[in-house]
Amino acid sequence: MIYAGIDAGSRAIKIVLIDGESKEIVASSCYPQSIKPGEKATALFKELIAENNIDADDVGGTVATGYGRNMVDVANTTITEITCHAAGINHLLPEARTVIEIGGQDSKLLKLETNGSVLDFAMNDRCAAGTGRFLEMVADKLEVKLEELGGLAERSTVPATISSMCVVFAETEIIGLLSTGTPREDIVAGVQSSIASRIVSMAGRKILLPIVFTGGVALVPGMREALEGVLEQPVMIAENPQITGALGAALLAHKRFA
Amino acid sequence: MIDPKKITLAEWDARYDDLVATGLQEADYGGRLTRHLTDGDFRLGTLQFDNSPASLRLWNFLLTEEDRLHEAKENGMHIVGTMKDLGTLPVMAYSLPNTVAFYPDGAWWIPCVMEMSAGLLRIADELGIDESFCPVRAMLGAFVTEAHFPLPDQLFCSVGATCDDFSAIAQRLNGLGHEIFWWEIPHRRVPSPNEETVELPNGKVVVSSQVEFVKDELIRVKRSLEEGAGAQLREEDLRGGIRIANLIRAELRKLRSRVFKAPVCPLPALELLIAEMLAIHFCSDRDECLTVLRELNAEVEARIGAGRGVLPEDAVKVYWVNPMADLKAMNLLEAYNCRLCGTDFMFCHALDQISEEMEPMEALACAALADPMVGACADRAGRICENIREFGAEAVVISKIPGASHCAFEGQVIGGIIEKQLKLPVIELEIPPLSDSFSASIGTRLEALTEAALQRRNQ
Repeated sequence: MIYAGIDAGSRAIKIVLIDGESKEIVASSCYPQSIKPGEKATALFKELIAENNIDADDVGGTVATGYGRNMVDVANTTITEITCHAAGINHLLPEARTVIEIGGQDSKLLKLETNGSVLDFAMNDRCAAGTGRFLEMVADKLEVKLEELGGLAERSTVPATISSMCVVFAETEIIGLLSTGTPREDIVAGVQSSIASRIVSMAGRKILLPIVFTGGVALVPGMREALEGVLEQPVMIAENPQITGALGAALLAHKRFA
Repeated sequence: MIDPKKITLAEWDARYDDLVATGLQEADYGGRLTRHLTDGDFRLGTLQFDNSPASLRLWNFLLTEEDRLHEAKENGMHIVGTMKDLGTLPVMAYSLPNTVAFYPDGAWWIPCVMEMSAGLLRIADELGIDESFCPVRAMLGAFVTEAHFPLPDQLFCSVGATCDDFSAIAQRLNGLGHEIFWWEIPHRRVPSPNEETVELPNGKVVVSSQVEFVKDELIRVKRSLEEGAGAQLREEDLRGGIRIANLIRAELRKLRSRVFKAPVCPLPALELLIAEMLAIHFCSDRDECLTVLRELNAEVEARIGAGRGVLPEDAVKVYWVNPMADLKAMNLLEAYNCRLCGTDFMFCHALDQISEEMEPMEALACAALADPMVGACADRAGRICENIREFGAEAVVISKIPGASHCAFEGQVIGGIIEKQLKLPVIELEIPPLSDSFSASIGTRLEALTEAALQRRNQ
């Protein structure tokens, strides 16, 4: 039997299919989100199983997660992304005790029990200043591609100080820095350090070792180094970090429906 | 007893007809809950309520407080606005003849209850007190419009180890020409080894000189109150006032203990929150306050006896820290299969007995010094941990109040202590006066908290 996890995130829809016996990933996909998350996720799910010659009857269970989880009709049940990321990371890196997940519109910090269940968690509040959206805004403002940010940050000699707690004011701050001739490299390094600081301050009491970094932003070059710099601890990146939530959802689907 | 359940405001109308048809006895402020909606309390239309006659009385009592205050004013009673001490000055004021006290601070819920239609926050903005301050700034708007509570004859406010935001807002109020009698409360410090000490009602020990200082401050307040009311506050009357306050507090403690410890939740979180608020100022009618609480206790006792509740038996037991700016948060908590199982709404000193053995002004000074806000937040966390152990909570929600200086960072301290002592999942939630647009993200956090607590329970 196949078990499916659908992570209907704010910026992307991620789908993972696993084999019920081996727990190996059979197929996965990642697409940009739309204004109708439920319909899009369902369509993409059907497309993915068709592409992989899987009959709908061979899917033993589907769990939806992410902010659009309640709109995914094809799912048998929903589980929050907190629990799903914990399950996904525990499967990939069972030793992990702290998970930092930075997605498109929110960021989370999970502390795990030794058996992988969630001991405690924290999420960012109303501001997007510690999220992927913030990095997109910065890349746009600096007229560079998202994937170029890491390379730029590496060349920084004096990272700029970004003091704003708010993405809107940070944008103003970046414009101000550009107008005073601050090199883009230093601005990028400052922004990445600022995001890392926000995550760590959100964590407060919650850092246990080892630490794993996941979510779409883990793919952005330089972010792991920024987190390591602020945490003063090594940070691992999960394999295929953007799909760990969907993987966890598929694993939980197996646990629940197998 | 009718099956306990949560119903909407519209459903309350039909329920009310049934109750009246079967001989419902009501207080003079009774009536349909929907009438408050037409008064502008639009939030009620989105809430879910307990369906008991006792809860009907509770809501009607709460929602008619402004009417009672206006009537008292028209009848020539002395109206006293007590701000910030949450539980001490009203005991004194109600011991005086012809005097009614209330908390203008309570206006912080008006933007929620009236869904911003009263424009109070906009007025506060115009007065320079913007959204970087606690939502209690709505109080400024209520003083400007005079559309809610009557302007009090006297205003008192504690300052010192209290909320910086509130002090700033009260100073702005003072600047608008509303004269305030300020009294000071110091930070409750840990006594040095050789210092003489006094035990407070919450079990904490303080330096005697701090009690003496606060007592002197309260004596100043007492003199001013006497002057305003045109009557002397005799010791036997104050002792009587303390006795009645203690009766109310005891009734509330009994209610909390029953609700939190019952195998099946016998009363929704929203009604318990409202009941807890009554203890701080008696909702402008001390005797009726006691009756309302006794009726609630009788209903809860009957439900527990019958093994009936308003939530599923497997609901996750959640301890809630701090008041929330949107009442709907209590409904939302239960929508994610959680039940309230312990609270610290920041006025838990108003739940403790005031000593009836001590000289009454000293007893009130001790009660004031037991305020969680005037001590270290580690003290507060200690009490919360004791409560969690007593009531068996499985998870903790710390509600952050937007802009409020006293809880900007203490959430992390309290959460850290809970985590260290009890290893329970803790989340912090920021709840604005109208949380509708955040309900999905608040819901995700509550749902994740439930999942984490259930995982632990099943292990």
